[in-house]
Amino acid sequence: MERQEIIDGLIEVLKTVRMIDPEKLVGVTEDTDFLADMNVPSSQMIAIVAKVEQKFDIEFEDDDIDDLGSTVKDVVDLILKVKARD
Amino acid sequence: MAGYYDNGFLVESLCSIHPKEILIAYGPKKLLVDKYHWHSPKIGVVASYTPTAYDVEDHFDIFRGVDQIESFVQATAASLSMFLICQKHNCAPEDLKDRSVPSFISVGNVNFMSALEKGDTFVILGKITFYKFRQMVCDGRIYRCPPGLDLDHYFKDFNEERLQKYDLSPDFKLISDLYDITGREIDIEYFRAINKK
Repeated sequence: MERQEIIDGLIEVLKTVRMIDPEKLVGVTEDTDFLADMNVPSSQMIAIVAKVEQKFDIEFEDDDIDDLGSTVKDVVDLILKVKARD
Repeated sequence: MAGYYDNGFLVESLCSIHPKEILIAYGPKKLLVDKYHWHSPKIGVVASYTPTAYDVEDHFDIFRGVDQIESFVQATAASLSMFLICQKHNCAPEDLKDRSVPSFISVGNVNFMSALEKGDTFVILGKITFYKFRQMVCDGRIYRCPPGLDLDHYFKDFNEERLQKYDLSPDFKLISDLYDITGREIDIEYFRAINKK
């Protein structure tokens, strides 16, 4: 799976999150930070990650999430890691 | 297996232990749960607390609203998630104390309808609305109990349907309702790192 394909899928997930301003989803790159750039409340990160699991048909471990950073790159890297692991 | 082993004893339900045995990070003056009366691991909990003189000190004998929220999160997200984590890893809360920290993440809407005074026993009815990656979100209500009621007996046959409906007798007085109360067991190294930033 290509990284851009994952980013596109991520944006689809983020469009379903009511707290994210759709304008913030324009021009998302791997450096975009969910907390700083999209103003996602930290409490919502877990809910987003749970939706990402469904979207990409993968399952994260609790420890994966402990180590997860807050940028798009961090999430893309994790998805690829988990897909390789599964 | 339902539950977990602690010092050789099977803990099948929160109702069989004292809150200090699962809320081990809370000292005696900060522990705001006295007893669990009903518990279904993936559904929710009923717990009680009676504010002490210490709890209402310098606050005109009224138990503060913020302490109601704290009591609620201790009885729900903190207790319920620790139970599930221990069950998943088949370990005791003590085994996790150097690995994770119970953290209060966020509060949604909270509405206070009445107040609680020193000595007023109240029950917390908490429902799990989300649990994933050690983060738990709960909704629920706090009710002042009728004086002298045997809560263990009253909630002996409680069930999920009654919890969902907040089905209590009319002599329970609604004090507050709480939404999206969120807590998470955070990895201790991560917790230290974010607090140094």
